Parts: sequence; C-alpha cells; structure tokens
Amino acid sequence: MEFLSLLDITFFLLAGFGALIGIIFGAIPGMTATMAVAVCLPLTYALGLNHGLALLLGLYVGGISGGMVPAVLLNIPGTPSSITTTFDGYPMAQKGEGEKALRVCVIASLVGGLISAAVLFLFAPLLADFSIKFSYVEKFLIILLALTVIASLSSNMLIGIFSGVIGIWLSLIGDYSISDGGNGKTRLMFDFMEPFLFEGFSLLPVLIGIFGISTILLEAEKGVKSGLTNERVRIGKGVSANFSLSIFKGRLTNLVRSSFIGTFVGMLPGVGGSAASVLAYTQEKNLAKDSSQMGKGAPQGLIASESANNALTGGALIPLLSLGIPGDSTTAVLIGAFTLQGIQVGPLFIPENTETWYVMMTALVFANFVMFFLMFYAIKYIAKVVLVPKHILFPIIVMMCVVGAYAINYGIMFDVWTLLIFGILGYLIQKVGLEVAPLIIGFILGSQAEIYFVKSLESAGTLSIFFTKSPIAGVLWLLILASVMFSLMMSLKSRAKRRQELLG
Amino acid sequence: MESSLSNLLSISIDFGTSHLFFPTIIHWIMAVLFAIILATKLVPFMAAVKRGERALPIVGEPMDGLRFFGTLALLVVYFYLMAVVGDMFPYTGYGFLFVSIPFVFLMSMMYLHEWTKKAVVIVLINAITAPSLAWFILAKLFNITLP
Repeated sequence: MEFLSLLDITFFLLAGFGALIGIIFGAIPGMTATMAVAVCLPLTYALGLNHGLALLLGLYVGGISGGMVPAVLLNIPGTPSSITTTFDGYPMAQKGEGEKALRVCVIASLVGGLISAAVLFLFAPLLADFSIKFSYVEKFLIILLALTVIASLSSNMLIGIFSGVIGIWLSLIGDYSISDGGNGKTRLMFDFMEPFLFEGFSLLPVLIGIFGISTILLEAEKGVKSGLTNERVRIGKGVSANFSLSIFKGRLTNLVRSSFIGTFVGMLPGVGGSAASVLAYTQEKNLAKDSSQMGKGAPQGLIASESANNALTGGALIPLLSLGIPGDSTTAVLIGAFTLQGIQVGPLFIPENTETWYVMMTALVFANFVMFFLMFYAIKYIAKVVLVPKHILFPIIVMMCVVGAYAINYGIMFDVWTLLIFGILGYLIQKVGLEVAPLIIGFILGSQAEIYFVKSLESAGTLSIFFTKSPIAGVLWLLILASVMFSLMMSLKSRAKRRQELLG
Repeated sequence: MESSLSNLLSISIDFGTSHLFFPTIIHWIMAVLFAIILATKLVPFMAAVKRGERALPIVGEPMDGLRFFGTLALLVVYFYLMAVVGDMFPYTGYGFLFVSIPFVFLMSMMYLHEWTKKAVVIVLINAITAPSLAWFILAKLFNITLP
C-alpha cells in the first residue's frame, strides 16, 4: 500500500479533468478518444509520471464513453464505437426519453469499465509473468501474431495486411540503430534527408498527424458543415422523471456478457471499438428472450453497446502493459506518451514498476467513477457540447497538435512538418480505402520486429529456429494459423451469404 | 533429405549489409501483396469506374476545394512562418503566439459559412484568447519549449 502516498489531490483532479475533456471530445462527432489523447499530450510533458498517467487514462475513459451523447441525441456516433448505441438510443430520444437513454448508457459504461479494469488487474500480471521468459524468437512471433489478428479482423484481410506492412515499411526509414545491435547505416531514403530522418520519424508526431491533422483535412474536404441547430437536440424533459434502476432488472446477464465481450475484443490488437459493440449487440439480439423491440428503442440494446465499448479500455491495456503491443489506436498513442515519461512497456513493466501499475489501476477506476458522476448528473450541460461550432474548434486543435509535435523532442521543427506529412498521408490512406489501425500498429512494432527477426537469424543461422525454438513458438504458430483460418472462413461465409441473397 | 532441408533454411547475414536484410523482405511482401490487390480489387474497381458505376476517390468525388486546399495552404504558411518568427525571438515562444493568432482567425473565417457580425466577433475573440491562453499555460507556467 506504499503507492497510496503517491496519490494526491492533483492526481484525482487531473483524472477528473481528463475524463471531462475526454467526454467533450467524444461527444463532438468526428472527434475521438485518440484525438483527445493526442491533443492533450503537451500537457503531460510538464507533469510527472503519475499525474501524466492520471490525465491520459481519464481522457481515454472519457473519450470512449462521450461518444454516446451524439449517438443518442443526433443519431450520429460520436466515436465509431457507439455506432450500435444509435440503433436504440435515437428512437428513445425521439420519444422524449433522451435523458433516460443516456443514463442507461452511463450505468452500462460504468459497469463495462469496471469489469474490464478488474480483468486487466488480474490478467495483465499473469500474461507479463508468462511472457518474461520469451526470447527474440517468441517476441517476433508475438508481433507476427498481433499483425495477423489485426489483418484477419479488418473488413478485408488483404487490405489489412497491406496496411500493416506499409506501417512496418514506414518504421524502417532511418538508421538500423546501433544501440539495438544494428550497424548504424541508414536505409529507405536519400542522402539529403539524413539530417532530418537519421532516427526515422518520431512516433508521436506521426500519430498526432494521422489522428489530428488528417481528421481536419477530411472535414475540410466536406466543407466543415455545421448543420446542427438547437431544435435537433432533444434531451427530454424533467429530471430523470422516468428513470429508475429497475430498467436493469433481468439485464444482468446482458450487462456482464457484453462487458466480457468488450474486454476480449479490446485485447485483440488493432481491433477498434466498433467491433466490440457490434458483437455485443448482435449477441444480445441472438440470445435475449425478447429482442423484438431492439432497434426501436429498447434499453437492452443500449446496455449491450455501451458496456461493451467501455469495456474496451481495460481490455486494450492488457496487451499494452504485458506485451508492449497496443490494443487499439488510442493505446498506440498511450505507448508514445509512456515512452516520453521514460517507461518502457512490455513484460518487465509490471514487475519492475509495481507502484506505477497500482497508480494506473487507481486512475483507471477513478476515471470511470468520475465519468459516471459527470455524465449522470451533468449530462444536460454536456450534451450542449455537440453544438460547439467546428470553425472555432478546428483551429484550436491544429494549434494544440503543433505544440504537441514541436515540444516532444524539445523543439525540433521537422517534427511539425512530420505532422503535415502524416496528416496528408493519413488523409490519402483513408480516401483510397486502406486501414489506419493496422498501419499504426505496424509502424509501432515494425522496428522491434526487425531486431527480433534479424537477431534470431544471426544467432541461429537458420530459419528453422522460428519453429523449433520452444513449445511456445509452436503454440504461437498454431494461433497464427487459427486466425488466418478464421478470417478465411469468415470471408467464405459472407461470400456464400451474398450469393444466397443474390439468388433469393 | 534432412540435410538438404536444413541447407535450404540456413541463412547467414552479413553484418555490413544487415540494415538492408529486413527492408528487402518487407519490399518483397509489399510487392506481392500489391500485385494481389491489383488483380483482385483494383482492376475490377477500375472497370467499374469505366462503366460509371463507381467514382474514383479524391479526384472523382465532389469536394470543397476552397476549404480543403485553403487548409493545406494555411498549414504550410503557418508552420513555415512559425519557425521564421520564432527565430527572431528565440526561447520565448513568441513565434508560436504571434503566428497562431492570425492562423486561428483565418482558419475560423474560412470554415465559417455565414459571416454575420456576431459570428465574426466570436471568431476574433477566440483567435486572440485561445493562442494567448495556450501560450501562457504551456510556455510560461509549464515551461514547455515553443517555437
């Protein structure tokens, strides 16, 4: 319990502040939790490790749950993960039950967040303990597995893999670092780029560019429509006149099942929140005794969707903290923020930083409660955020992105240009239909994959090492095979279904 | 049989060129994947474009050219001038402050659809206060390096 001395008022204030800002970001359509974390990064430069963590985790939790507000009130998912919330939330809002719907969502989110935090707390140390014995061979296979899983779960496996490989390619630009046992020579660039790119692109400007600037470009292309008027936002009247906890009666199975689905999907690297909530929603639809009202304004749909998408937070942190592999794009930005604070996430993180680990758990649980109280009691005022005009918001976001990129390496102007390069790249990627999440995860893991792969080969001198190193290597190959098979089966299934639809 | 298989799998990496070993593999994977995508996705897609069923991304879609290219131009000028002005007042963050104010103003005005008096006043107030506040909190209170 020594870690308790590390917690002070500022810590809790920052977690609460983070949750509030996160909710606001999540509530504005088109802005995501990832963007909230990216934009607020400069604030953490000046904070210590624990305070920085409090702010970041608050932003993460708030950002994911904030998406429910426009989903219910405007039928626009504020973040991709609240897509299924719109199915039942908007019909309820049209019936004048907007506030009731939001409160159901808030409670479901809290339960989802807490269950996933509990799973994280119990499971991450076990996984870390297990993976601590991994040699370069197993580490390489873990990365390969992560990339296969991402690819097999993206909407199109081929496109997913290709995006991931582009990410790896981008990460290889620069020198083959001597500190990692390389020969210090540069590759994949021309000589004139060497002064800027000797160490490659820095992670955070790349992430901020892809998630911040490219979003602005995508919106600018559409003409930055405001289009929201006060009349469209109907919260419903009266202070929770018709809300009571009895809505949750008989819904406990749904709540717990959806939370576990969310946690599990969160653990899979690169799979976003939309997969979690869609899966939980369809499961409820298939398994519930009475699902006839779903899609027309049934609270059970809201419960499934929101508990699953908030359960992502804990789930996505499991591979991040135990293996160093980010579970989604927001945790990808968190990896950058941790590195900045001098923390190397991976198998050694929890055993070597036990106090930080407890501090993180405290921040995560506290952020969930702050989110709950803010949303439950102040939802009416927060709902107004969806009306903040974008022409005010966007320039401020660009400004904060610039600060974040410039200050990251203590004032390098090239990092600001990186922002622009990757902003445009991110825009192009999304326009031609490639996927951002696999690309980012490929970028983060690419240079490690190289070291593990090349060093394993250098020491063993044969490719067979990847199969014969240990029983774990065999298991990992089986998992890789299984995820490829899964994806092939899914695509065959959907093809057969399409053919049937065409015939029928 | 056994020995020929292990010969096939054995690999030695020359340290001097080891920086090119992994990138070469990645290039090959990229090339193969691209070829498959070209054959299975891109060719049918282009055929659909020719028949007029699908539109090319970016060039074939309707877009707000003024706001899109305006944003790009503003960003380039913003980043460039920030460094120039920042060099005139080193270690003060004035480059960020003085260039951000007009940038925020111009970008807001560009995105604003109806230039009513009230909206413009709000934009102006925001353009002055937001960068000043950011500069004060980050550069003065937190001592963060700004251009």
